[in-house]
Amino acid sequence: MPPQPGQGKTQAAAASSTTTSTSTPAPHNPIAKVIWDGSIPIQFTWDKDEAAAVGSNAVESFFYEASRCSYFSLLTSHVRKHFVDMALHFIGDDAEVWYDYEGTPLKWHYPIGLLYDIHGLQTSAGKGMNGSLLPWKVTVHFQNFPGDKLIKSQAVDSCQDYFMSMIKEADYLRNGSTKKVMNMSKSDQTQLWDGLWSNDYDRFWGMNHKLMMNDGAMARNLPIRIYLPENCPIIQDPVSPVDENDQPKTLRQVLHTSLPDLFPLVETGPPVAAAMIHGIIPSLDTSAIWASQNMSYPDNFLHLVIIFK
Amino acid sequence: MSSSGTPSSESPPPTVTQPEPTEAPASPATVIANHKKKDLSKVIVRFRAIGNAPILKQNIFKITATNKFMAVIQFLRKELNYQQSDPLFLYVNSAFSPAPDEIVNNLYKCFNTDGKLIVNYCTSPAWG
Repeated sequence: MPPQPGQGKTQAAAASSTTTSTSTPAPHNPIAKVIWDGSIPIQFTWDKDEAAAVGSNAVESFFYEASRCSYFSLLTSHVRKHFVDMALHFIGDDAEVWYDYEGTPLKWHYPIGLLYDIHGLQTSAGKGMNGSLLPWKVTVHFQNFPGDKLIKSQAVDSCQDYFMSMIKEADYLRNGSTKKVMNMSKSDQTQLWDGLWSNDYDRFWGMNHKLMMNDGAMARNLPIRIYLPENCPIIQDPVSPVDENDQPKTLRQVLHTSLPDLFPLVETGPPVAAAMIHGIIPSLDTSAIWASQNMSYPDNFLHLVIIFK
Repeated sequence: MSSSGTPSSESPPPTVTQPEPTEAPASPATVIANHKKKDLSKVIVRFRAIGNAPILKQNIFKITATNKFMAVIQFLRKELNYQQSDPLFLYVNSAFSPAPDEIVNNLYKCFNTDGKLIVNYCTSPAWG
């Protein structure tokens, strides 16, 4: 899309106008764009017991097509409004809302797409199920916040804080400091979050590509997290993007370092595991740094969800 | 480990699974079990006060590596005798604030300085 004189204004207006400075246009990147546009249809249903307790057992579900890169905290005001509009004598409070899928509380500080890949696709693959899980059936709660499983303070502001912390952690992995993020002006930093919140690709990637490309400098380590099934502890190892011969590592080499039993360097039989990113299974010959630069979530981490075959 | 490799004259192992040959990769189930295993190894954490936060007399501790960062936060609150309502902000390497569910060992592996995980703390937010 060619830049147009009026574009800056409408964008700023749409994104609640925290800044009037012209944003750098996002460079052309069809992979990043298609990932950004990825979405999941979600069916939000009010917890049966909670709805019955306020005499609203017949309240219809709320359907919403959520961006994979977004967060549940950003949907909460829409979700609550639906149920408040549908139920008499019920107000609810955004600060108490939480979500579960089949009884597992969903972490509001993880991107929605990552939660779906872990609790939906990874779990169903483990049970040998192949059927569609869509729309994703998520249960909404307004009470009994599970403080032992989820971080309390799931307000939008906290979500922004955690998001920015992840970006700083990623910057630290790449550069051994957070100078790249900290040297951004406040409004440039805000542009990352505003772009995500307002689902404005150009606004987000116009700023994010500076972080992702690291000003052309080779990253020390790639921000990567690996998720095994069954609620195993997350694996986050320091991962150099190049091997001892200064050649870019493949995803297979990266996975082999952390999980040698699941990802041998040379497959001698049918593979036992695959790594999923954004719901798809990329070739393990993909360069890890390329994957990091193009397939990371907006939080700057490449989240690899392990699927057993 | 004294008798594990030698055949014993008594008590033949009834249903013990064959030890796997060293070359064969572990099955996915074994990998999962190994990752879930309770590991009590510890890493060294060094606390550093910032601004007007109270200084600890003893500021180097060993903390179980498989713990979540939440355990570090709670530990520090206890050491400082802070109530849940007292504001306290923790950072790694004066740079970023890990989520409470991050694993201490991951932070140690990725961010340790000379074998210590440096955790800065203050009573008002620093570093954005």
